[in-house]
Amino acid sequence: MVTSLAQLSERGAGRFPGVVVALTLAFLYGPVLVVGYLSLSPTAQPTIPLDALSLRWYGEIAQNTRFVRSLVNSLVIGVAAAVGGTGLGLAGAYTITRSQLSATARRGLALVIALPLFVPTVVVAFGIGRASAIAGLGFGYLPVILGHLFWVLPFTTFLLAARYAELDDALSAAAADLGANRQTVFRTVTLPLLRPALTASALFAFALSFNEFLITFFLAGSSVTTVPLEIFGKVRIGATAFLNAASVVVLLISAVAAGAASALRKPV
Amino acid sequence: MATAERRLDRLVASGPALLALALGVFPLLVLFVESLGPGLGPANYAEALSPLYRGALTYSIGVGVAVTVVCLLIAYPVTYWLAHRCPARYRLVGLVALTLPLWLNYVVLNYAWVWILARSGVVNAVLVNAGILGQPLEVLYTEVSMALGFVYIYLPYVVLTMYVSMERLDQRLMAAARDLGATNLRVFVDVILPRTLPGAAAATLIVYARIAGAFATPEILGSPGNVMVARLVVQAVREYINYGFAAALSFVFLVAVLASLAVGALFPRVRRELRQW
Repeated sequence: MVTSLAQLSERGAGRFPGVVVALTLAFLYGPVLVVGYLSLSPTAQPTIPLDALSLRWYGEIAQNTRFVRSLVNSLVIGVAAAVGGTGLGLAGAYTITRSQLSATARRGLALVIALPLFVPTVVVAFGIGRASAIAGLGFGYLPVILGHLFWVLPFTTFLLAARYAELDDALSAAAADLGANRQTVFRTVTLPLLRPALTASALFAFALSFNEFLITFFLAGSSVTTVPLEIFGKVRIGATAFLNAASVVVLLISAVAAGAASALRKPV
Repeated sequence: MATAERRLDRLVASGPALLALALGVFPLLVLFVESLGPGLGPANYAEALSPLYRGALTYSIGVGVAVTVVCLLIAYPVTYWLAHRCPARYRLVGLVALTLPLWLNYVVLNYAWVWILARSGVVNAVLVNAGILGQPLEVLYTEVSMALGFVYIYLPYVVLTMYVSMERLDQRLMAAARDLGATNLRVFVDVILPRTLPGAAAATLIVYARIAGAFATPEILGSPGNVMVARLVVQAVREYINYGFAAALSFVFLVAVLASLAVGALFPRVRRELRQW
């Protein structure tokens, strides 16, 4: 690695870009590693460096009913957003790329689906909160899940639309020639070809929902709590070893989901 | 047959369309009506645009621009290395490593910086123990810690967006310029910059509004004195229960953001770079 870096540095701007990459990686992963290290503190308030290492706080979070409940809520909402968001995203992707509706209708759908990408999240969150109150839904699970579905929809739709556009039309045409109707073509040709993209979409949607904070902040009310809300509330009180262990659990869950999704789909 | 197919297509489209209309368009209409009340007047807008709140608005946009510039300054050498120097078989791993934090929880990621910068945090522990500092630095809960937190969260977005146009840049152009005697600076200004500018503009459009409208990062790492728009909206909603004012403030901010997006989208090359989002 060192020799190859040295060879590379003979070209262009010397070592500079390589050094920036190394520093950037340290910048991105250093703080995460520090929190991981400080989650092993034997005391509630870690002192640097730690005197001893202990897994005590991982046991504490497993026994903390409030944290476990927020984790279960986040997982349930995340799975709902993954499944529902991918289903709706598939419908959206089909409509945008393959449907027989007018071009205006298809472009209009793409535009409204993309709304949360260009409207500031605080405006989206506040607006959904008011709309939910006016529609009589109030706060709680249902508004949070709907909010998350809306939040993940552009990501699932555009990921699946990109894959839909790459599909070879000749395959479904061949199946149709052989007498398959549209439903059969979809089930036996299109769906299997889309399966890796569908899995990636579901995993990304899960990660997005699992990490979502601001929309939940406006829609959860006092009865529902999720992991990001729980951690945000505790961060403002103070940094503790308990919070570090909770952070590590959250990071691991989302990193596994996103890592698996990345393996199924090139990032660009 | 054709009408049956179209009916099915309409049914398929209705799912995502209903969700996006009910949670995207309807709430904006609700906010617009509330921003005019009570009495369907501009009073809430007059308040939202008063000097007191205008300061928070320009401060938010200023923070958005400043952090975006820092992210771009880092992303240029990073994406250049990744697209043109990194051995091909490590390129995907490198890109995933640099963009994985996109998918991690930003509340937790910002919290991690508390441990880096706190009075008893890692930086102070190392520097004071090494005798470099006589007393700990007080950087947590300042603009510096907030800016670090923002760069930390948004750099991966900028890297991912910039990478696309950096990868498209033809290495032979840079080699030709160097053969003709161009210095690094000239290669950057005359070859790299013009060809990656759309990517940089697209990255700017993606992150600048998110930074300007951020709530969690300033709350976790910023100082109470540096007021950004999102905190004003949250305060107006949750503490003062003044929905009309919060809605007017939201709309003023939305218009400011959309105006800058529209300017960027006027350029077809920028629009093409934005397609992947």
